Amino acid sequence: MSGPTTPEFLARARDEQRDMVEQYYRDLASAGGPKRPVAYMLVGGNLTEIVRAFGYEVVFPEIVALNCAIKHVSLPNILNAESQGYGLDVCGYVKNDLGLQEMGGETPFGKIPKPDLLVCSFSGCYVYVKWWEALAERYGVPLFVFDVPYMRDRAPQAEDLAYVVTQLEEFIAFLEKTTGRSFDRAELTRVLAQSRRAEEGWVRYLRSGTHRPSPIEAYFEAVFYMFPINVLRGTATAADFYETVNAEVDERIRLGMYPVPEEKYRVVVEGVPPYPSYRTFWDFFRNWGAVSVAATYPKVGGLFDRGFLHDPARPLESIAEYSLGAYVNQSWPLRRELIADYVREYSADAVVIHGIKSCRSFTAGQGDLRDWLIHEKGVPTLYLESDHEDPRYFAPAQIKNRMDAFFESLEQRGATASAAGVAP
Amino acid sequence: MATPLPMYPPTDETSAPRLELAEDLREFRDAANLEAVVKLAREVVEDPSYPTVRAWALHGGKAVGCFPVYTPQELIHSFGLLPVSLHGGGEHLEISHADAALGSFLCSISKSTLELALTRQLAPFQGFVFPYICDVSRNLEGLFPRLLPGPETHMLHLPQNFHTRAAVPFLTAEYRRLVVKLERLSGRPYDPDALAASMRLFNTHRARIAELNALKRTSPAKVSLIESYLLRRLGGLLPRELHLQLLDRFLPELERRPARPKDAVRVLLVGSFCEQPTLDLVDLLEQVGCYAVDDEFLQIHRWHGPIEPGDDPLASLAAAYVNAPIDIGVRATPTTKGEAILERVRVADAQAVLFLTAKFCEPALEDVVLYRRALDAQKIPYLHLEYEERSTAYEQSRLQLETFVESILFN
Ligand code: SF4
Ligand code: SF4
Repeated sequence: MSGPTTPEFLARARDEQRDMVEQYYRDLASAGGPKRPVAYMLVGGNLTEIVRAFGYEVVFPEIVALNCAIKHVSLPNILNAESQGYGLDVCGYVKNDLGLQEMGGETPFGKIPKPDLLVCSFSGCYVYVKWWEALAERYGVPLFVFDVPYMRDRAPQAEDLAYVVTQLEEFIAFLEKTTGRSFDRAELTRVLAQSRRAEEGWVRYLRSGTHRPSPIEAYFEAVFYMFPINVLRGTATAADFYETVNAEVDERIRLGMYPVPEEKYRVVVEGVPPYPSYRTFWDFFRNWGAVSVAATYPKVGGLFDRGFLHDPARPLESIAEYSLGAYVNQSWPLRRELIADYVREYSADAVVIHGIKSCRSFTAGQGDLRDWLIHEKGVPTLYLESDHEDPRYFAPAQIKNRMDAFFESLEQRGATASAAGVAP
Repeated sequence: MATPLPMYPPTDETSAPRLELAEDLREFRDAANLEAVVKLAREVVEDPSYPTVRAWALHGGKAVGCFPVYTPQELIHSFGLLPVSLHGGGEHLEISHADAALGSFLCSISKSTLELALTRQLAPFQGFVFPYICDVSRNLEGLFPRLLPGPETHMLHLPQNFHTRAAVPFLTAEYRRLVVKLERLSGRPYDPDALAASMRLFNTHRARIAELNALKRTSPAKVSLIESYLLRRLGGLLPRELHLQLLDRFLPELERRPARPKDAVRVLLVGSFCEQPTLDLVDLLEQVGCYAVDDEFLQIHRWHGPIEPGDDPLASLAAAYVNAPIDIGVRATPTTKGEAILERVRVADAQAVLFLTAKFCEPALEDVVLYRRALDAQKIPYLHLEYEERSTAYEQSRLQLETFVESILFN
């Protein structure tokens, strides 16, 4: 499916993104120590704006892990972690990181510096807490556990916000003590304005999946474009990047250049990608003319498209709301409704769920989601399973067979979500 | 495309032995001796249809199932409801439907709890509380209202930041959310005096359990692990008033037992804070020559010491949770894991550590690595065994345990 009409290969945005990633890792390689201290942080509900305001470089071990997997170098890290005692059932990201740490942090994209600070944003995944405990034990550096209540209601509740805002105030005091620097609130406001600009650009990009045919690939392509919104949020670089992206999306619509030459199936994808076999998995979709028009995974950093945007006029409150709004921090009833809303809003024909063997946070209950979508919403839904990090669990022939059977039956049945009455 | 058939069972499907108990649970009160109570406890624990809860329901009593590891049971009790510790389906429950709904690579307790719900064996309950102890328990809660409509279900976010001044107010507010549901369920308004009274009852109950644990630690030959375990399991299944009577009656008897110490290794059991091993495995641990002088079973009965209800019992209850010095896999550790395990070995005066973890229980598995490093550094022996609810072949475990015990005894 590659060729001159595939935006992925035309894309200026994609090249810019690649440069940005490379620059980020180059910068990191020389970071660490008192002059350019390094904070380790998690993607879900992260506090990157605050930490950067104190002069920290930020490492996201989850992103390092997915980069390792996509570059096919995760397995040695995983095996090292297993030799340390981390069993087969432990999250692949954790094993990649703890193996990599043990082996000195060298990756094909640069050396990952050791942390000077550990910020555990416990937003949607309890494994975060365990992972950061292991890092704290290893490095003996300050650890801040930022506890974000689980979202059980559509809107954040006052007591949740009060809890989170108090912790943010304490976090700032903790950073002032740790770094000896005083906090510049005006600077945070300025940074948040950049965050907001990036978020609005990102949302515009995501929403363009409503076009028919879709000018974007809201899963496989969006995963690349998640990098700035999660890692570089708060910088002008990130905000400018989405302007480039959206200009390109407009251009794609103008020129009629779409992710697949003929859009046959519009799907919503739920779940973390199988990074070790990313291209292969993507090809399985492209072969059927299937394009993801919306996906949940690109929202792990925050549900910006559902209104959880940073607001420079309410800095801490909006950071609190944003942290509460990470996708995996939503209860199953909220997740289910979100996916059904995506099916409707993006006029999708089907849902594909990719379950991750070693990620319970995302995966536990996805079978029930499939049942709900099929039997209560009338949405054809396919469930597949492998791993996000460990190449040993991707069975290409089996996955392809199941996808072929699914799309074939969709084809034969002519059954779409719109036919089932879900779409408007 | 043919629509796949619903993966859930017909509503009348059940699959369990059913023990019938009298409405006032007199079988316990009238038991001739401790052995009879322990035998009855075994039957109750092995019956996944919750016989004590069914008996409680015979006179209109309502019950709330509490998933491990911690729920403010006094609060539930103060509404006249029976707080019941859920501990999965045990070895006799076949998992036919839960795998497909929840996933394959998951601990047994999550799957068997869902299976119990799907096969209507949780019918005697009017409510459920799932504390957020891990992502599996949290997600399981999310399926309950859809798959078991009717009962109130509550996901309790227990704080993980124990250093913030906001933790107690937040948890108090969390308890208030639960209160709204308990009021609905019981038809009674929240009453701080009733809560204070329940807190006093639970204080006494925890004190008795602490005596039982202390006896096991100081005179392990006087009470076997299986006895102490089954007595504690009953604590989450019977009305606490009745359980307290049993403890009051049998603790002195246990104290009076002649101690006939055998040549055994004093071990600290770590990792079974949520899913429980089978009773045969619990039995096996001491058969092979261990004294399990401390463990992580049923932490709910030992979470904290006595709580003074004070002016605001709800806030006092919240503070007790937050300030408890408990260090287990589902609570962000207040110290380092290494220091914590060494301290616990010291306090228990243990010679070795036995990691007993549920398969697929990530919180437990990740701690084991850190614990092992600290133990290695101090040359403290340990063994790691994994279990599942339905595992019944213990030959391998027996062999490992025997070798472990021999290596310590003869070194
Ligand atoms: S959300 Fe899943 S993949 Fe991410 S750290 Fe948690 S368990 Fe691992
Ligand atoms: S056994 Fe472990 S993974 Fe399973 S519900 Fe309990 S704490 Fe969670």
